[in-house]
Amino acid sequence: MKKTARVAALVSIAALTLAGCGDRGETGATGNNTESASSTPSPTQSNPDFKACMVSDSGGFDDKSFNQTSHDGLEQAAQEFGIETAEIESQSDSEYADNINALVQQDCNIITTVGFLLGEATEAAAKKNPDVDFSIVDFAYEKAPENLKGLTFNTAEPSFLAGYLAAGMSESGVVGTFGGLPIPTVTIFMTGFAQGVDQYNTDNDADVQVIGWNPKTEEGSFTEDFEDKTKGQTIAENMIQQGADVIFPVAGPAGLGGLQAAQDNDAFGVWVDTDGCVSAAEYCDVLLTSVVKGMDVAVKDSIQASLEDTFSNEVYVGTLENEGVGIAPYHELEQEIPQELKDKVEELKQQIIDGEITVG
Amino acid sequence: MELEIRGLTKRFGSFVANDDISLTIEPGEIHCLLGENGAGKSTLMNMLYGLLDPTSGEILLDGEPVHFTTPGDAINAGIGMVHQHFMLVPVFTVAENVMLGREQTRGLGMLDRGKAAELVRELSARYGLDVDPEAMVEDLPVGVQQRVEIIKALANEAQVLILDEPTAVLTPQEIDELMEIMRSLKEQGTSIVFITHKLREVKAIGDRITVIRRGKVVGTTAPGASEPELAEMMVGRAVKLQVEKPEPTVGEPVLDVRNMTVIDARGHTVVDDISFQARAGEVLGIAGVQGNGQTELIKSLMGLVKPDAGQILIDGKDVSKQGPRETLEQGIGYIPEDRSHDGYVGGFTVRENLVLDLYKHDEFSNGLALRLDAIADNARERIEEFDIRTEDMDSLVSSLSGGNQQKVVLAREFSRPLKLLIASQPTRGVDVGSIEFIHKRIIGERDRGTAVVIVSTELDEIYALSDRIAVMYAGRIVGTVTPDTPREEIGLMMAGASTEQEGSHRG
Amino acid sequence: MADDKGKAVSWLPTAKVTVASILLALVVGALLIVVSDRKVVEAAGYFFDYPWDFFVFAGEAIWDSYRALAVGAAGSWNAVTQTLERAAPLICAGLGVSLAFRAGMFNIGAQGQLIVGAICAGYIGFTYDLPIVVHLLVAATAGIAGAAVWGGIAGLLKAQTGAHEVITTIMLNYVAVSLLLYLLTKDAFQREGSNNPRSEAAADTALFPEIFGFHAGVLVAFAVAFAVWWLLERSTLGFEMRAVGANADAARTAGMSVPKVYTLTMLVAGALAGLAAVQQILGHQDSLTANVAGAIGFDAITVALLGRATPLGTVLAGLLFGALASGGIQMQAGVGTPVSLTQVLQALIVLFVAAPALVRAVLRMRDTGGGATVMAKGWGS
Repeated sequence: MKKTARVAALVSIAALTLAGCGDRGETGATGNNTESASSTPSPTQSNPDFKACMVSDSGGFDDKSFNQTSHDGLEQAAQEFGIETAEIESQSDSEYADNINALVQQDCNIITTVGFLLGEATEAAAKKNPDVDFSIVDFAYEKAPENLKGLTFNTAEPSFLAGYLAAGMSESGVVGTFGGLPIPTVTIFMTGFAQGVDQYNTDNDADVQVIGWNPKTEEGSFTEDFEDKTKGQTIAENMIQQGADVIFPVAGPAGLGGLQAAQDNDAFGVWVDTDGCVSAAEYCDVLLTSVVKGMDVAVKDSIQASLEDTFSNEVYVGTLENEGVGIAPYHELEQEIPQELKDKVEELKQQIIDGEITVG
Repeated sequence: MELEIRGLTKRFGSFVANDDISLTIEPGEIHCLLGENGAGKSTLMNMLYGLLDPTSGEILLDGEPVHFTTPGDAINAGIGMVHQHFMLVPVFTVAENVMLGREQTRGLGMLDRGKAAELVRELSARYGLDVDPEAMVEDLPVGVQQRVEIIKALANEAQVLILDEPTAVLTPQEIDELMEIMRSLKEQGTSIVFITHKLREVKAIGDRITVIRRGKVVGTTAPGASEPELAEMMVGRAVKLQVEKPEPTVGEPVLDVRNMTVIDARGHTVVDDISFQARAGEVLGIAGVQGNGQTELIKSLMGLVKPDAGQILIDGKDVSKQGPRETLEQGIGYIPEDRSHDGYVGGFTVRENLVLDLYKHDEFSNGLALRLDAIADNARERIEEFDIRTEDMDSLVSSLSGGNQQKVVLAREFSRPLKLLIASQPTRGVDVGSIEFIHKRIIGERDRGTAVVIVSTELDEIYALSDRIAVMYAGRIVGTVTPDTPREEIGLMMAGASTEQEGSHRG
Repeated sequence: MADDKGKAVSWLPTAKVTVASILLALVVGALLIVVSDRKVVEAAGYFFDYPWDFFVFAGEAIWDSYRALAVGAAGSWNAVTQTLERAAPLICAGLGVSLAFRAGMFNIGAQGQLIVGAICAGYIGFTYDLPIVVHLLVAATAGIAGAAVWGGIAGLLKAQTGAHEVITTIMLNYVAVSLLLYLLTKDAFQREGSNNPRSEAAADTALFPEIFGFHAGVLVAFAVAFAVWWLLERSTLGFEMRAVGANADAARTAGMSVPKVYTLTMLVAGALAGLAAVQQILGHQDSLTANVAGAIGFDAITVALLGRATPLGTVLAGLLFGALASGGIQMQAGVGTPVSLTQVLQALIVLFVAAPALVRAVLRMRDTGGGATVMAKGWGS
């Protein structure tokens, strides 16, 4: 449905453009009507013979989450390196192999697949097409083929910082987190978060409690759904009734309901994957920060490596150190967070980078 | 107001429903429009009422041409219509229904119910309609509901009132009352167009009679014309109105109903401790006004409704616990009262409908697959034998005329040997020509030794077919009489008035 | 009393309306291609200076997109096999919906039936170690049976309690989705050493054999379409189904057991959806995931509507949708036109088919009665 909406949006955009008065681009002015490499304005490089491609998982490129961020990386690469691109949005889990195959036939030099669900299909395609480079977001292989790179993110590290921050900002001494499904890519956030709270308790002799996730028993609250906002809202409302005043939802769009609950009840929220003040700006006033996965950076880097022939099958792990993960700026709450706490977070970040603290 | 129709024609594609019809309704006359079902009476009236747009021709009111595009236009011009199916909201009161569509309000948008009630009372008194404005419509008998429709039209100041088959749903007494009302309306200057296919009624009430056949006006006569004359105009050939019926040879009881009671879903006792017998070789007519338990009685005989008490014996065997399939298999033929609802599948072809309850027989299937050849052969034979007017056996039954649809049902039920035939309203909505045919076949079946039970709300039909007449009222059989019992007496029994006279005519 | 000839076989006007609908949808789709093409939009910006650019670019965009769509759908044997493999589950599930339509039921539950079928077939496929052929047969039977039960529940509920199948099948869809998500958190369904909601892939022994480049499930789909035709048009059970669908009261009066027909119909409809699931999971080496059914169960409703609830129509509609799906991928990969366009095309085609008066008005066709009567009937309870 949302894809249909996007086409509708395109119609209205086009109408607006038609109403305006544009300028004819230079390629057009020369009278050359054949396809140009890219219509984006003046890339810093030009590599029209190189083609970078991407397959989404069934969430589609407009999921406001990892598909979208990964796709941003592709677009940045296109702009920066002046390369050709192609992409396919998957409609269901059964078509991944076909979709990757379709891109191979389009003579792509590198194909990036998004999400662990494509793990098998990507590996099979990589083995079948040794001349094409492959990278996959959020997945790593024990033994990857030469031409296949896993792009993973140690989100426990920034989640740790977010947990510390949350504990420091909590007045009630209770903070809550919940996930979409009890799967590793989700629970890793929650575990890091809980550890950050523990760290705060140790440092300050405090007793801030985490509800919604217990890293030891691996039990917690889950929406069992990444789409339904109301489920996230219900869980968060419950947590707020139990005293929580910071909510950390790790449930994709369903997590937006958690932020809604925080906003309705004068609590704080922490967002995940992208900077919430950008992707969900309406909740920016309650967002302490966001735990950001630099998928765009990782994707762009892998494309660059393929372009410059430095591609390897070594797994990329986004860390605080290589800035593949991080926490977003404090935005509207900049003034409310005590400088002392901010300094402490910076200090902890450095300690993690230096290896003095291990998270995860 | 004088209503004149001049050369009105209506085509649907290549089909001409009304062909150059001209007639004049004089002020204060009761003008009967007589014709068979499908002759084009309703099309004509729908054009008068703004529901259909004429292909050509014009309508004049007091000599002025008018053009109606909606019923609203017609109403404003002073034309009122009472449809065969009432357009009333059952959960509203009479006054509210009359008010509907022309809501009168006091300040602040409050509905002025008082004013509407006053109007109903006034109209009711003036024309002798006897309607309580505060009564809930769903609680009223059909006859009174019809009067509510008339009041609605009068409230809109109708000067020409169209009554579309108004007597079809009424008891003989109610028909008499309606005729009184029609006379009273006429005396006060309202003209009435009375649509019907019943000869007796046009003769009783009409000032002039216009007969329509196949979309054309056949002629206009005075009510003095005889019934056979009118029937011939209507059908286009001489029709025998009386079934020729030899004396019955009555045999053993085939159907024996003992103390049967049916309670419906709402907890009402709709069939109340009924006992009767139907014997081989005779026709038992069950007379009664619609809604007095006949429907439930017949459905429980067929196993479609389970009786709550009592027994149904067929050849001495209790079948009251059986389903319809077993009952049919026992040699019971069934012609349901609402054929389009229960009798045939409109979306099926003639061929398929002719085996609707026979497809499992060895002749027509091998248990798993249908024998298409045998089914086609059967269709060819039945169409021939029963003179079913259809383009071919693959026409949909819904596209046939009412009479031919009924012949399909009849042909199917008669195509296996029967012990007992149960026919409910066998000729409702059927043209005169087909009525003659159907009646003949039913008597033929009787003479073959089949026990026949006929349920009909039309006394004419009951008289024409029955060897004995049982009258139902309020779920009971109030008496069983012979066909020489006077009409008035049965009419009274149908109204539940008399049970003590049954002795004198017991059959 | 209108001029309705009322012939049972009147496919020609229907076919005309359908073809016209497809053409109209392509025209609207062309407009969408034009406005979603960056170059055309830019050219529109300076339309008054160089109007010709706009038309050239627009023409190019439309031509390129539809050419890629056609080539991707049927331009090579590989494309044809892709189309067939995508069409097969749509045809099977669509037949399930069509069959229910014909018996007067609106089966919204193909999706849930598919999911349950996939769970059953998948579980047998990846858990047990059975010899070739036997493994496929056992897994397929399990999938078909599971889905049949899921459909049968809705049929039984309608038959015994009168519960409307639209409500029950929608609810059963939810239950099936939740069941799948729940099972995917269990060890028996997850891969060893992984916590991801994803099962092992079905074993090689359980897969459909490949012939001519597509899996044999495709042939099964065509065979089943023929079987459904036979069931409806030639068998006594089909006679009962159609009679109940067209007029349940008359069917009951004629001695048919309406509850039995409802239950059996939904059982068979579920089994057909189950076959779609089997093709989905045993066609290629696929594993059970949250989205294993995609939107096939819902597309199946559209396929059945477009196919006028007849087996042949359903096959053709399924092929069309399969072609759009496989062509759409090539279109997006090659020309960059969003694959959503094919979904818009599908929706538009059905929209136009459902509003035949609109199509006739636009194309100035004569009203010959090729309306959506079959569909309207399906709506009744």
